[in-house]
Amino acid sequence: MFFHIELERNIQLHPRHFGPRLKEKLKQKLMRDVEGTCSGRHGFVVAITHFDDFGKGLIREGTGFVTFPVRYRCVIFRPFKNEVLEAVVTLVNKMGFFAEAGPVQIFVSNHLIPDDMEFQPGDMPNYTTSDKSVKIQKDSEVRLKIIGTRVDATEIFCIGTIKDDFLGVINDPGAAS
Amino acid sequence: MAVWVVWRANNHWALSENSPDKPEIVNCGPVMYWSGRKKNVKKRRSGAEFLDLEAVVDSDDEEEEEEGEDDFIVHGGADLQDEDDGGRIRRRPLLQGDDEQEDVDALARKIQQRYARTSHVEYDEETTDVEQQALLPSVKDPKLWMVKCAIGHEREAAICLLQKFVDKGGELLIKSAIALDHLKGFIYLEAEKEAHVKEACKGLRNIYSMQVRLVPIKEMTDVLSVESKTVDLAPDSWVRMKTGIYKGDLAKVVYVDNVHQRVTVKLIPRVDLQAIANKLEGINVGKKKAFIPPPRLVKIEEARDLHIRVEVKRDRDTGEYMEVINGMHFKDGFLYKPVSTKSISIHSIQPTFDELEKFKTPGDEKDEDMAGLSTLFANRKKGHFMKGDAVIVVRGDLKNLMGWVEKVEEENVHINTKIKDLPKTLAVNEKELCKYFKPGDHVKVVSGVQEGATGMVVKVEGHVLIILSDTTKEDIRVFADNVVESSEVTSGITRIGDYELHDLVLLDNMSFGVIIRVESEGFQNLKDSNFPQVLKGIPERPEVVLVKLREIKSKIERRVNAQDRNMNVVSTKDVVRVVEGPCKGKQGPVQHIHRGILFIYDRHHLEHAGYICVRARSCSVVGGSTGKDKNGANLLTTRSDGLRASPNILQSPRRIPRGPQMEFGGRNRGGKGQDSLVGRTIKIRLGPFKGYRGRVTEVKDQTVRVELDSQMKIVTGNETPRYGLGSETPMHPSRTPMHPYMTPMRDPRVTSRRFRICLFNSNDGSTFVANSYVEKAFAA
Repeated sequence: MFFHIELERNIQLHPRHFGPRLKEKLKQKLMRDVEGTCSGRHGFVVAITHFDDFGKGLIREGTGFVTFPVRYRCVIFRPFKNEVLEAVVTLVNKMGFFAEAGPVQIFVSNHLIPDDMEFQPGDMPNYTTSDKSVKIQKDSEVRLKIIGTRVDATEIFCIGTIKDDFLGVINDPGAAS
Repeated sequence: MAVWVVWRANNHWALSENSPDKPEIVNCGPVMYWSGRKKNVKKRRSGAEFLDLEAVVDSDDEEEEEEGEDDFIVHGGADLQDEDDGGRIRRRPLLQGDDEQEDVDALARKIQQRYARTSHVEYDEETTDVEQQALLPSVKDPKLWMVKCAIGHEREAAICLLQKFVDKGGELLIKSAIALDHLKGFIYLEAEKEAHVKEACKGLRNIYSMQVRLVPIKEMTDVLSVESKTVDLAPDSWVRMKTGIYKGDLAKVVYVDNVHQRVTVKLIPRVDLQAIANKLEGINVGKKKAFIPPPRLVKIEEARDLHIRVEVKRDRDTGEYMEVINGMHFKDGFLYKPVSTKSISIHSIQPTFDELEKFKTPGDEKDEDMAGLSTLFANRKKGHFMKGDAVIVVRGDLKNLMGWVEKVEEENVHINTKIKDLPKTLAVNEKELCKYFKPGDHVKVVSGVQEGATGMVVKVEGHVLIILSDTTKEDIRVFADNVVESSEVTSGITRIGDYELHDLVLLDNMSFGVIIRVESEGFQNLKDSNFPQVLKGIPERPEVVLVKLREIKSKIERRVNAQDRNMNVVSTKDVVRVVEGPCKGKQGPVQHIHRGILFIYDRHHLEHAGYICVRARSCSVVGGSTGKDKNGANLLTTRSDGLRASPNILQSPRRIPRGPQMEFGGRNRGGKGQDSLVGRTIKIRLGPFKGYRGRVTEVKDQTVRVELDSQMKIVTGNETPRYGLGSETPMHPSRTPMHPYMTPMRDPRVTSRRFRICLFNSNDGSTFVANSYVEKAFAA
């Protein structure tokens, strides 16, 4: 799920950046520091939308670096249990398949793939139904439901299922071609 | 006199008189015996001496107990009764022989009589602890003597004493003889005096009365109380065979014969039908003793095809029909084998899944699961449930009720349920509970083969969970009971010997690699049989080898750098991208460097625990060391980092060609420069205070007093200037625009100057040399 929230962060800026374009620099540094990171609490920071304001900088003794408290608004993405997501399959193996929904990696175990889909090893490993009508392979797009998340300091890993109503392949590049 | 063979006991002592042809069992009340029996003995000395013996019973358990009470709980009133009707009832075993002739009515009447009498004499319930205490033996009671006898002839010795007593009548002054099944080579005699014991044993060749030892009063009760640890074998529990060709095999208890100490177990037969057929036909194929047939279910048809005679018999114990081949009993392909309880191990049996699978016969899957359950309970550790565990009731009226553990007492677990009408907490027996997990829960395995692994529950099959391991991304099957909910992430076993998972190690044959996995290959929890898997350091061709611990020579811990294709220096933790070779496109931080080969960790790489092994030349550094970017104040940046970062500084517009170093010192000679050192934060580079940061408080000629940040201590030391290639240090203030005059004298390649400060340790008077990061030079 995406959220638009306001966050705060202390940013250390090198003194060489002090000058007329200080705010610009600060913004750049913030983007570089924050975008694409993942915190266990909030999830993935997708993009900074507003750079509200920064407070008074505090010179760090000894280093000359200045710490600015910065408030910014950003879009974050955090997967939740029972959330239904659309994801792109990145890897298929006999244990199941991995899919990515943006920065989140989701694993769908073969126990959570409908029983009528079977693993077909080979050059392009895939899961196929017995009547060959549905095929899950690399780059397929699937709709899945997250059943569990593991949140590390720098990563969120999910386990999903497609063994439910309205879940499964939504767009198969292989079929289209 | 009485002869007892102590059989088994929970609260009750079970005594039996063991006559050679027909063992008969009697149960008697608890500690009561000591006074009760004594009375018996005294009163009956003249007449019915065999009272205790005669309380003999058929196989009916309940009756046994009743009878036991009859005999041993004798009090004033009952005694008289004993005297008159005792004779009749107690002669019953003798009468039993001519039961045929006896009128059934008479028998019924007799039984009724007996129960009528005992029904209102319920002593067991009434006896309190205190009363029982009073019944304990005291100094006034006859003593217990331990006498040596021939090993294996304990019962015989006791019977001999019985016989002697019968023959000699009142001459024998011993009160009782006791043979314990679990005590080999000794019997106990109850008598007032040692002389009585010796007298009684005289002439019996089984008994060696040379050594007669007195059992202390305190230990007397222990003699007859049997530790309750006795084998608690129940049908359907899992055991392992200890001996024979089935040694180590899992077996399921089918029938338990406590009296004969035998159990019938169900095994996967290791039978070679062909061999049997050959044997039956008289063909002698050279005996290969070493060969043990692999376990395999026997198909009766196969046996028939081989012309082996298959009989169908009804089993005496279980009452089921079995196929008998060559004296072995089979049912559904399984072997039913009667074994002694001594030849099986009962405790802490952890059947693996494979083994259990094999025991599964199609058709009774449901049953099997429940049976497996009973085993789980048998093998459960103490303190299994913890507060907060989600549990489900698996047996009894409340089956399928879910709840959370609130409190755990000995046997009972108090659980909280969400259901409104139920009381807040319910006490449920531990054995009726099982842990409960939902798909998606993150769990840790706490016992069993997979101990230590963590992962997410993918599927729940009854009481078996399928877990996706965090590190290997593989499925693990575990029992719900062996698992706890946890947010921790581990990879199972991470240590082996001195090495840890993901260590770079040197192998025997001068090859090297990263430990990517430690496997417990072992059979039955052999703790030492863990094998590390090593991803060998051969670029472009991943090779994983399973090595033994002794094949690992050492850990490689040297910090070395390598150069990427753009001649950039790569050090560990740098993020690099693979630009050529089969792993092209992969990206990740460098974990290890050895001989120009990088081990990169890519979390998207699923094989080899995410490790990729590539030549440094086929990579390019992305960005730079993340460690440096993040933490600008990193004082410990490596020398190489400094070099890489130096171009930045070279671009300084105010750069002026550096002057000779000597001039440097000259310019700053004098007190002025030294003053400016005061108040600076420095870092000590050498000596016992190496690595400490502090603030200079005073500078005098060549000594510097430094107030350490971390230790609340002031140390004094000498300073000597020294120039050299410094590393870029963020606290270098000379780059600030406010101090432009600093720049000219900067060595363009030097971002800071390191000064050697000789510190004088005020504690022990020693001096040591340290370099400090300060921006000014000092006279020598």
